[in-house]
Amino acid sequence: MIRHLLSVSAAAITLAALGASPVAAQSAAERLDQLDARITRLEDMNDIERVQRTYGYFVDKGQWVPLAELFTEDATLEIGGKGIFLGRDRVLEYMQTAFGKDGAKEGLLANHMQFQAIPDISEDGRTGWIRARAYVMSVGWGLPLYENAYEKGEDGKWRISRLTGPFTMYTNWEGWAEYGMNNTWPDKFDPPPDLPPSVVYLTYPAYYIIPYHYPNPVTGEAFLPDMGEVGAYHRPPGNPEQEASMEVGRTEKGTQPVAQPPRD
Amino acid sequence: MRLHRSFLLIAGAAGIALSPGVAAQPVAAQSPEQRVAAYRERVDRLEDQAEIENLTAMFGYYFDKGLWDQAASLFARNGRYEYGQSGVYIGRERIERAMLLMGPQGLAPGYLNNHMMLQNVIVVAEDGRTATGRWQGPMQLAQPGANGQHAVGVYENDYVKENGVWKLAELHFYLTAKTDYDRPWPQGAVPMEGPSALFPPDEPPSEVYRSFPAAYIPPFSFNHPVTGEPLTDLPMAGDDVTGREAIPFEPADGSGPEAESGPAR
Repeated sequence: MIRHLLSVSAAAITLAALGASPVAAQSAAERLDQLDARITRLEDMNDIERVQRTYGYFVDKGQWVPLAELFTEDATLEIGGKGIFLGRDRVLEYMQTAFGKDGAKEGLLANHMQFQAIPDISEDGRTGWIRARAYVMSVGWGLPLYENAYEKGEDGKWRISRLTGPFTMYTNWEGWAEYGMNNTWPDKFDPPPDLPPSVVYLTYPAYYIIPYHYPNPVTGEAFLPDMGEVGAYHRPPGNPEQEASMEVGRTEKGTQPVAQPPRD
Repeated sequence: MRLHRSFLLIAGAAGIALSPGVAAQPVAAQSPEQRVAAYRERVDRLEDQAEIENLTAMFGYYFDKGLWDQAASLFARNGRYEYGQSGVYIGRERIERAMLLMGPQGLAPGYLNNHMMLQNVIVVAEDGRTATGRWQGPMQLAQPGANGQHAVGVYENDYVKENGVWKLAELHFYLTAKTDYDRPWPQGAVPMEGPSALFPPDEPPSEVYRSFPAAYIPPFSFNHPVTGEPLTDLPMAGDDVTGREAIPFEPADGSGPEAESGPAR
């Protein structure tokens, strides 16, 4: 595709390249600085996606030490409803305590396939963000989202500075038409978190929309999910109050609720 | 994309030759010509990566539908194709025939051969002539008369630029788990097939391993993105059948290897 575009007229291209300032007012050095910044931005988006994809490969095979090395020293990590862990050391402790010591183990499948990333880089090129998802093939199926932040260190390397991985749906082998697993909670398993969850929500068949780090790309408007409309009800599944709450926040032609209530 | 075309035009108009190594100098010390040359190289590498990503994804769309002739045409002259434990087939003609072992050209009714390809980590060599790529490969499979299957594996591919076009130098799919559609992984695990007796490969499997429930980590082609260290000798349980020894986990605190990652059983 890139090559096809070379046939576009030189005048149009030159104007497109130079952004806001009139061509005549710019020195060659300024134009080159702008080019450098734009190439760097593409490289940076590439790099943070690479970090996120590598994170996925490490989760798959239980490689917690190299996984923790993807984080900044003061990074935070919050997965599902487990609460917030502070710092790279706690990231490592969380993984090794909750999921066992490092290593690919016989009979264990924990694939966290990473895709659909929306990478963005700050104006100053020091901070990045990704919204992405993973499709989990493990003891069942799972669908976490990510709204992560990344920092470019003095060494020029990008690291995860905040991993926020809210769950959408986890189910067992019967499938999500039959079974929906509750979100996790702080004391569901060791280790305990440093801070409570940033938000309390339920997973499928309820849903929660983690705020988007970017505006609508066409309208330019920020979209802020309304907690009252997203079905983030607070009652446990399977009781009348929860049944009633299934009526809250459903879009008229939405896909929810599912055919059967979840079992715990 | 706007960046690419505008940049190339400027570089082209200036008629500037490539001068590798310029990037190491501080920007202030570089002439405009040197800067353009350095930027051109960086854009070249981004374009290379985009083309390799497309090439691989296009292979996947052909492969899904049993368009073996199209899929095989994407290989370099002496391209290598290795799927699971089926051995290595070399050259486009042999690769195309090997693919026919999976089903007829243009999938017949009742087949599902979805090989999704995602999560790529592509590394283009500095000279822009070769590249590597790791991909995650979940699959949805069906054949007439048999129950469907879920499966997953990892691609570790090599690429080469021939006459300005990126091609597959090697497609190596490490199938790592396959299971019956209706049964959990441990109970429904389906072992990999070995090399075909009907149409034997040119070389035996380059790496002997078992898929799930055995533990196996397909070797990483890229280094750790932060530390830069090669991702080799990662802790992994051993395999009694293939005889591969366990690689134990050794905590940084010097407390010694962890027994949990020891040999199978």
